[in-house]
Amino acid sequence: METRRDIFQAIADPTRRAILALVALHAMTPGAIAAQFDSKRQTISKHIQILQECELLTPKQTGREIHYHLNPVKMKEVSDWAEQYRRLWEEKLDSFERYVMELKTKKQKK
Amino acid sequence: MSQSTDLQNRTLTIKKTFDAPVEIVWEAWTQPEHIAQWWAPKGMKVNVVEHDFHVGGKWKYTIPMPDGSEFISDGVYSVIVEPEKIFSSANFRPMTEGVEMQVFFERDGEKTNFTFNCIHATEEYCRQQEKMGFYNGWGTAFERLAAMASALSK
Repeated sequence: METRRDIFQAIADPTRRAILALVALHAMTPGAIAAQFDSKRQTISKHIQILQECELLTPKQTGREIHYHLNPVKMKEVSDWAEQYRRLWEEKLDSFERYVMELKTKKQKK
Repeated sequence: MSQSTDLQNRTLTIKKTFDAPVEIVWEAWTQPEHIAQWWAPKGMKVNVVEHDFHVGGKWKYTIPMPDGSEFISDGVYSVIVEPEKIFSSANFRPMTEGVEMQVFFERDGEKTNFTFNCIHATEEYCRQQEKMGFYNGWGTAFERLAAMASALSK
């Protein structure tokens, strides 16, 4: 089974988040993006490729150059990140509530 | 975007009513031996590495992952008013950093009204983002991007 790239996995990496931040300001060529980092150009290309596979970046050909644009539609998915946290916190607080009830029962027995 | 809307967008709020008196809820939330029982997701173990329950005190809990890595939560208490409220900075590595947690306990007879706020990113980050024209309501996931980009482009 082929696993599709996960958008949240894509943005879990600080370099990739930095790339998105740069491209959010204005569309950039791969060379211009790579020039912002100390990493090898190949490494940055790999990051760009992953972001492109998740459709966070869209390449647009202008003459002989490719400019990467940020994909606002895809970014919308990420905007619900707080909701991801909500689920985690709700689980944690449910677990807390169960524990509070256990503790209450224990104390009543004493 | 007004400041209050902005704060709402960055704040995750969960309210609950517990069928237990506030003393028990407070104890379960604040005592390390209790925290160890509920903090970790089901089937996982939590280590309470540090738990200095004072204003300015540090807390750190780790959850070992099956692959050998650790999920680390830590922070510093900024407000403690027993048995009403606790504020603390918090990092949840590797997920997010620079979060503020606010927990309110309100006595309701033998029950407790509980409010949990998790505020993503600080005002400072948002100001930086606004300065760069980046903050446009995409929300918390990219709270630190602008700061990072400005650091990288120096």
